[in-house]
Amino acid sequence: MALLEIQDVSLSFGGIKALSDVSLSIEAGELYAVIGPNGAGKTSLLNCISGFYKPDQGRVLFEGRDVIRLRPDQISQLGVARTFQNVELFANMNVIDNMLLGRHHHYKSGFFKNAFLGYLAPEETVHRLKVEEVIDFLEMEQWRKHLVANLPYGVQKRVELGRALAQEPKLLLLDEPMAGMNVEETEDIARFILDIHQELGTTIVMIEHDMHVVMDISQRISVLDFGVKIAEGTPNEVQKNPEVQKAYLGEDFESLMKGESAL
Amino acid sequence: MRTDTLPHMFLAKVRKYGDRVALREKDLGIWQEISWNEYFRHVRHFCLGLIELGLKPGDHISIFGENEPEWLYADLAAQSAGAVAVGVYPTNPAAEARYVIGHSESSFVVCDDQEQVDKVIEVKSDLPMLKNIIVMDMKGLRNYTDPMIMPFAAVEEIGRDIEEKDPERYYRILEEVRPENVAIMVYTSGTTGPPKGAMLSHANITNFLKNAAPVIPQYDTDEIVSYLPLCHVAERLMSVFFPINSGATVNFAESVETVTQDMRDVLPTFFLAVPRIWEKMMAGVIIKMKDASSLKQTAYRLFQPVGEAMAEARLARRPIPLSLTLKYGLAYLLLLRHLKKELGLLRVRVAVSGAAPIAPEVLKYFHSLGVPVLEGWGMTEETGIATINLPEDVKLGTVGRPIPGVELKIADDGEILLKCGHIFEGYWKDPEATARTIQDGWLYTGDVGELDADGRLKITDRKKEIIITSGGKNIAPSEIENRLKCSPYINEAIVIGDGRKYLTALIQIEYDNVAKWAQERGIAYTTFKSLAQNPEVTEMIREEVNTANREFAQVETIKKFKLLDKELDHDDDELTATLKLRRKTINKKFGHIIEEMYGGKG
Repeated sequence: MALLEIQDVSLSFGGIKALSDVSLSIEAGELYAVIGPNGAGKTSLLNCISGFYKPDQGRVLFEGRDVIRLRPDQISQLGVARTFQNVELFANMNVIDNMLLGRHHHYKSGFFKNAFLGYLAPEETVHRLKVEEVIDFLEMEQWRKHLVANLPYGVQKRVELGRALAQEPKLLLLDEPMAGMNVEETEDIARFILDIHQELGTTIVMIEHDMHVVMDISQRISVLDFGVKIAEGTPNEVQKNPEVQKAYLGEDFESLMKGESAL
Repeated sequence: MRTDTLPHMFLAKVRKYGDRVALREKDLGIWQEISWNEYFRHVRHFCLGLIELGLKPGDHISIFGENEPEWLYADLAAQSAGAVAVGVYPTNPAAEARYVIGHSESSFVVCDDQEQVDKVIEVKSDLPMLKNIIVMDMKGLRNYTDPMIMPFAAVEEIGRDIEEKDPERYYRILEEVRPENVAIMVYTSGTTGPPKGAMLSHANITNFLKNAAPVIPQYDTDEIVSYLPLCHVAERLMSVFFPINSGATVNFAESVETVTQDMRDVLPTFFLAVPRIWEKMMAGVIIKMKDASSLKQTAYRLFQPVGEAMAEARLARRPIPLSLTLKYGLAYLLLLRHLKKELGLLRVRVAVSGAAPIAPEVLKYFHSLGVPVLEGWGMTEETGIATINLPEDVKLGTVGRPIPGVELKIADDGEILLKCGHIFEGYWKDPEATARTIQDGWLYTGDVGELDADGRLKITDRKKEIIITSGGKNIAPSEIENRLKCSPYINEAIVIGDGRKYLTALIQIEYDNVAKWAQERGIAYTTFKSLAQNPEVTEMIREEVNTANREFAQVETIKKFKLLDKELDHDDDELTATLKLRRKTINKKFGHIIEEMYGGKG
């Protein structure tokens, strides 16, 4: 059974069809990318998986269970973590606190026990340790106590990735993890994504604009165009697909796929 | 018990201190302690593991990574086996790493993580001697199929198995190590030409410690932070030689970027920094004070001069009036203590500046904060320190008197010559350079200097770097450059003028501080380049240059300068691994800018 099954999902906003009958099947342990031109419906698809949008029809199965009717927080509790295209962090909290929030649904004791019965300290130690492991993993030691608002954009994106990792997710959804980053930051994030995939064995679904990175690190790719899945396969297969070339018509396809004119 | 080699001295300390803390490493945000016994166990097992993998006495192993306890384990393990440990700068790009690993004919290279492993793999085909790549942190390497790659822990495991069968093996191997054997090789980052491998024997190290330890006393209660590159002889002294001699505790910074925070955690008592770091700390305080609340600013304005007056009185060895003592007490309570704490220098007993010349203004600033920084001078080729200012005997602008056992004389052309029991064994595979450097038992240091009436040494400059203007005047550029770098807005300065009518300078701005300055004035910029090209920034730097100029004779003043529109970088070959200027490359690269300053078309 696939970890994530998307079956004939359609979504429209008024007269605009954001997704039409999209089906995907992602196996546990895969590093999977969804690409497509602007407005192809990539983020809509991600939002359908994480529960922010409710599709008009179709099913989203996570570990065989239909999650369409669940709220985002319930889906998150099942083991789905995500990052956002535009960083969504608590700007006036420090890095550690932001990441501890990622641990929220791992807290076992409630408000009463924490406030009055001294359950918090031992539990907090466990969560703090997990957060420290992520800090070590993503090499963020120097920013632990910094307010997120004071950090450069590239680091904020890393913190957001860290918060998602602190959830110990089975499925990690990344919405344009490299958007707005310089070359060096892009390379760092690409390396971290590979490390997460290889070391932690996390299944990753990533939406990305930077073709170069997608072709380099993903195992399988599907291509969306105007809400329709037009191709799926290995990076090599996708690059050769004439449908895909047509979807990117008007852009210098050859060099785009090689990542040469990505900027 | 023998103490004539470094691993023997180490063994003696292990016997003495046992379960006491030897090393601390911040792991997952918590300082983890490593006892002398554990330290020793790692060294033993890694040593036996290496031998099992084919390490022979006299072989070389390269250690390529940032400061970590494993660096020390590998260092002492190699030495215990009679092999030679060679440090490679973690910032070295693949080509430079290849040079050091290849030139030293290393049979093993110990890397700290994937970054260094990738560099080694890139140049592996040029390294026929290499048997194994041993890796401290295997993160990201699970899918590497290269059979040469081995985890550090796996080598230790091999060693542990051997020890179980033959517990005395390590000690038998150690007995074979002789004081005259080479212990370590330090590649001196040449500002010209490829680096040379300076060979230091066990006798060099033990003789050095015998001479230096009595005048630079370190105790087993001292705390050290290890953060400068260990392949440099200065940090090796701080993290390995001195602590093994004294029993002090070495704390490893979590990463290069967290040193400031780690310093505040540890509050070291024995601290070494290079001029660049002292300059950065000073600039940091000055800039931060500008941003501070008015109360803090007032405290700084009132009490910093008190600290300065105290420092001046002490340096001049004048009697200190009671009123000053009282004022100083207040200044200490209300200002200096907090500044020192912020810098992580609150408990510093011995602070040393070395490895490059430093402006007396910077030293004086730290004296006025109550951190009497001692400037020392030495060479890799004589195991690190030859002269140093001693506590209570500091004279700014000099590098102090020779340590006991060091004989010093000035040659006719001003070059400083040294004779002592810790002059190195020569350069690896370079007898010509060795013969040029050691003549009749004297070490030719390549530095020019003079001795004052009290026998204190004053360094003028590197012999090769002395500028002779077309007017025939000899000028030491580093003195002027260091004065310029006292400005919080100037990161790097290169004085030019050899064979020219007047002096000019290329200046690299201190990005963070100038950026802040620009923001306060609403000056728009996007990158380093646009900031450096801003005319208002140029005007501001002109003021800084004029201020510096006032302290020099007319011929020594900077007549024109240009701001560099890129940051100098080791990767671009403009700086050495220790961030010293490569003047030749810079002169060539920025030749057109230089010509403009001399009226050329550029």
